[in-house]
Amino acid sequence: MRRALVPALVATLIIEALQLTVLSSLRIEGVVVMLVWLWPLTMGLTGFTSLALVTALVAGVFFDTHANTPFGLTAVVALVLAYAASRLGREGVGDLDSAAWWVTPALAALGGFVAPMLYVVAGAGALDFNLWRGSVLMMMFINAGAFFLLARPMARLARAIANVGERVRR
Amino acid sequence: MATDRSKRRAWTLGVVAAAILTVLALTGGVFSGLRSAANAVVTPFNWTVNEVARPIGHLLAGAINYSDVVAQNQKLRYELGQAQLKSNESWPLQRQLQQISTELDVPYVGSLPTVAAQVTTLSPTNFAATVDISKGRDSGILVGMPVVANGGLVGSIIATSPEGATVRLISDVNSSVGVTFGSGDVSLVVSGRGVNNGLSASAVPLSTPITPGTKLATNGLNGALYPPGFPVAKVASVKLTPGAATYNLVLRPTADLRHLLYLDVVLWEPTA
Repeated sequence: MRRALVPALVATLIIEALQLTVLSSLRIEGVVVMLVWLWPLTMGLTGFTSLALVTALVAGVFFDTHANTPFGLTAVVALVLAYAASRLGREGVGDLDSAAWWVTPALAALGGFVAPMLYVVAGAGALDFNLWRGSVLMMMFINAGAFFLLARPMARLARAIANVGERVRR
Repeated sequence: MATDRSKRRAWTLGVVAAAILTVLALTGGVFSGLRSAANAVVTPFNWTVNEVARPIGHLLAGAINYSDVVAQNQKLRYELGQAQLKSNESWPLQRQLQQISTELDVPYVGSLPTVAAQVTTLSPTNFAATVDISKGRDSGILVGMPVVANGGLVGSIIATSPEGATVRLISDVNSSVGVTFGSGDVSLVVSGRGVNNGLSASAVPLSTPITPGTKLATNGLNGALYPPGFPVAKVASVKLTPGAATYNLVLRPTADLRHLLYLDVVLWEPTA
């Protein structure tokens, strides 16, 4: 994990920059596609739980420092997605080589669908009860669709980075 | 054994992450420091991505939308001409209104000093409708000051730094504005419904004489967050649930909140 940590963090920061500079203004029906949630999720699907959690925390915290929403909510959602995905990843579910082509995109789409709702629930936990008033359903559908399309390239990148540590160990 | 260890490590990481987030969320001072540090780390990456992505984006947008841009330019020139004409025509009326406002000790919108600022960043998230602007405390901008643009109220300042500020738009889910219409007898509260959902007003008494197309402006009641007279929204539709004693209004903001490039911060502080 330690060998893969540096490339994983660099990739996370590049994805963060993409999120903040490109995706924030490139809205689909006004909705921002949350790459900072998809990235830890795909990292989780590689089965490296610790690496996935670290990337989730870094991506989430960096994003939260740029947003005017209760601090930590994006990070919490990213952590939940990363952990859940890593549980599946450890069982080999969503493996790019052995599973059917649609499994990884479908899991990512499910994550993208659930994530905005998780955010609203986490917001209620942080005593912000207004978050549900936004177009949550639209966010769920658009993120699900975008995650479905982007899942495989992101998963390939995640696997390449996670395998850096593995190759060195061998 | 290895699985147990990795599971333990994952749980430890999770707990540590949760603890860090809680501490940072509870300590505002640490948070502002963290924000600057995070900005410093991400800025070189942002700059690089921006330098690569922006020309490509402009090229694509220019190729696809060229005719739209030309049409929009012509429309804007026409609208500018109309606005200048109206402004010239309404000058005597404005002067009269200003005189009356001064006599009644009511701040008149046109007479309030403003600072023009450029929008530098849009909110990166789906859950907050905010924008960052290029002027801050050094230009006299303080938290709570109203912001106007594109012919109406845009929002208010929620955070400042020496050379920048953050504006919460009226469409933000945490925004509410006291408004009135017509003769000003009835006051309503307009709430934001998220980045793309416009505005709404709920629990409006059935006796309120309001119809689609009615224009709403800030009421400026004692202790209000905004001075009176800022155009806020137009009624798009009136929704009545059968059997209900009140109705809800769907509102369209007067200012075009989706295309904010420049805006004016009104140097006026709420009294309360």
